[in-house]
Amino acid sequence: MVTKWTKKIALLSAAAVALAGLAACADTSEGGGSIDPVTTEKATSGEIVWWGFTPGSPVNEGYIEAFNKEYPDIKVTWKQTSIEDYDAAIRPALGNTEGLDVYQLSAGSANGGAAVFGPNAIDLSAAVEQSLGADWKDQLSATGVNALTIDGELKALAAGAVFSGTIFINQDLFDKYSLKAPTNWDEWKSVCDTFKKNKVGCFIQGAGQGAFNIDTVHAIADNVAPGNFVKATKGELDWTDPSLVKAFELWKKLFDEGIMQDGALGQMQYPEAHNGFMSGKYAMVMMGTWYLQFLSPDVMKAAMEGAGSTDEPFTMMPIYFPDIAGTGHTGSLFGDVDYGQAVSINSQNKGPATTFALWLGTSDAGQQAIADSLNLIPALKKITPDWNNVKLVNEAKQAEPTKALVQAASAVTDAPRFATINADMNQALMDALAEIAAGKATPQQAAETLKTQQETVG
Amino acid sequence: MAAIKVAEAPADQNRSKRRGKGMQVAGLPWILPAFIFVVGLIYYSIGYTGYISTLDWDGLSPKAKAVGMGNFSKLFGDQIFWDALGHTAVFYVVTFSVQTLLGFTLAAILHTKVKLATLHKVIIFIPTVLAPATMAPVFRIMFADDGMINWILRSVGLGSLAHPWLADGNTALPALMLITIWQWTGLTFILFYAAMSQIEPDLLEAARLDGAGNFRTLAYIVWPGCRGTTVSLAMLGFIGALKTFDIPYLVTTGGPHHATEFLGTYIYRQGIRQAHIGYSAAISTVLLVLAIFGAVLMSRANRKEVQG
Repeated sequence: MVTKWTKKIALLSAAAVALAGLAACADTSEGGGSIDPVTTEKATSGEIVWWGFTPGSPVNEGYIEAFNKEYPDIKVTWKQTSIEDYDAAIRPALGNTEGLDVYQLSAGSANGGAAVFGPNAIDLSAAVEQSLGADWKDQLSATGVNALTIDGELKALAAGAVFSGTIFINQDLFDKYSLKAPTNWDEWKSVCDTFKKNKVGCFIQGAGQGAFNIDTVHAIADNVAPGNFVKATKGELDWTDPSLVKAFELWKKLFDEGIMQDGALGQMQYPEAHNGFMSGKYAMVMMGTWYLQFLSPDVMKAAMEGAGSTDEPFTMMPIYFPDIAGTGHTGSLFGDVDYGQAVSINSQNKGPATTFALWLGTSDAGQQAIADSLNLIPALKKITPDWNNVKLVNEAKQAEPTKALVQAASAVTDAPRFATINADMNQALMDALAEIAAGKATPQQAAETLKTQQETVG
Repeated sequence: MAAIKVAEAPADQNRSKRRGKGMQVAGLPWILPAFIFVVGLIYYSIGYTGYISTLDWDGLSPKAKAVGMGNFSKLFGDQIFWDALGHTAVFYVVTFSVQTLLGFTLAAILHTKVKLATLHKVIIFIPTVLAPATMAPVFRIMFADDGMINWILRSVGLGSLAHPWLADGNTALPALMLITIWQWTGLTFILFYAAMSQIEPDLLEAARLDGAGNFRTLAYIVWPGCRGTTVSLAMLGFIGALKTFDIPYLVTTGGPHHATEFLGTYIYRQGIRQAHIGYSAAISTVLLVLAIFGAVLMSRANRKEVQG
């Protein structure tokens, strides 16, 4: 009798396990939770959880504080992960109906990229139209709208954009050795020779962190033939095009002729390259407009302390990538939305979540807070940094170049950074550039590999 | 007398069988919760991974495409996968051999009369309890072009050997092996130390009386006496090598150009970075099969040798 019962219990247990398996399979094939893709709600109370990786505490808490001045009855909890861990953390969280309401969505294949995480967000088109009017697309930067729109649905409201194609230099070090910012290959080589003679590192890049290598090669490719790199990422131009092979050769030349620091392939952009520059050990670093935030003495001081330096903040200046191809094509800027606020389809608090996303992405107050941090180029076109509120280390030297760069970046309309590169091509590019740098593949071989990969994955 | 014993034996065995059966019937409901937990959580997860390995899925999309064995056939043509397997093999052979040699030698030394023996044991074991996440940045700095390793080499006149260790595909893997050996030799040492404590002192004494020196005693008495420990360490090391993730991910992120890619880092890269959950599940399945196969193979080889 006992044996029969035991068998029954065992059978029931096995059946329960099997049913659980089937339920999980069904969840995979049909998706979970109800989908309400369009919302026009604008709630003024509730509690929401906001997930993201940038710019980080305490800046995000500052945005929340500013938001609460307008919406005191919406409680926002900021949940931060590192950029490296964001994808792994958010993947399971997006399946929940609790604990995640708003999340940061990036362009293309970047961390938290729209290509992967966009389908989990509601369409915000109707909400933004209600907030800004029918001409909302004209009021917002096309960079943000295009990158975060999937199949005609606006999946997130961009906070702002970042642009690459620039190098930041330590002007104090340049002045100390009577050097001028390089504008071509010979000048760059000469500058590096002088720094090295004086035991100062010249240019630093964390070439072990592949995404930044793509930035550098994109800048070189735009120097060789503007626009060809983006065409290749879209599949409109073969990677074996001579202009791109030339760009790969110049990339290799950076390593071979000592522009790139020794051991670059074993170092990361963050923290090593960033710390190398912030500590004054290196005079130049490959960074984009997100680095403008370090023009602020307080932000730079904190970064320098993080890099182990107790010196006073130095005069940092942005310059365009030098004309190393000798074509005269300089000043290229390419960028994407850094992040936008998406509302999860599984959120039980879509109303207040949408209110928050709209405030940060479309309100004057929210966008001004973003602009004044210099971290991003605001998504709302009419907003520019209030320079009276922006404090610089060296006002006399930094103000004009900074304003010029912000203005130039704001004017960029169609020069994507990662938005046209899917995750597979991103990996293929990182691999190809590392192989060229290490001498494991010639520029031509790497270009052919990329061509094959592009044909395979699109 | 002998006949009586023979006649009694089957009766005892029958009683024992009945008792055993009774215990099975009565005991099964008691272990059922744990049984369901183990089957439901662990084996279900393994089964589900196997199921996912037949899908082309990004892990989030409501639609997953069934590809049958497609992910596995893709795997066999994936050079990075084979490279990762190769790195795992080299990593295992080198780290296991060196750790065993060092662990055994240190354990033998500390079984002799050594001053401050407890302190030495603690010092040897400390790296084992340090989290790789805290040590990885230190090793990145040490192995950097301007790091401590090169500084020492330059300081002692061996500047020509200075090298960007982690940036070169030829030296990045040995650097990781060095870190692993530094970290795990402590565990090997402790286990050998414990195993040596189990060897009968009379046996060692007898060997001494027979004229065996230190080396012969170690080679013919102590080493065979630690055989079980060595086999256990070999199996654990094999499975550990297959699962290696933290050190390569934190120190080199699998680079440069996949020179330190392991199955663990490749699973993470494919599953999380590139959102190929199905493909990464296929690699996980292969990893599981290899781990079971390797452990069984080693266990059998050991049994045969013991019996032989």
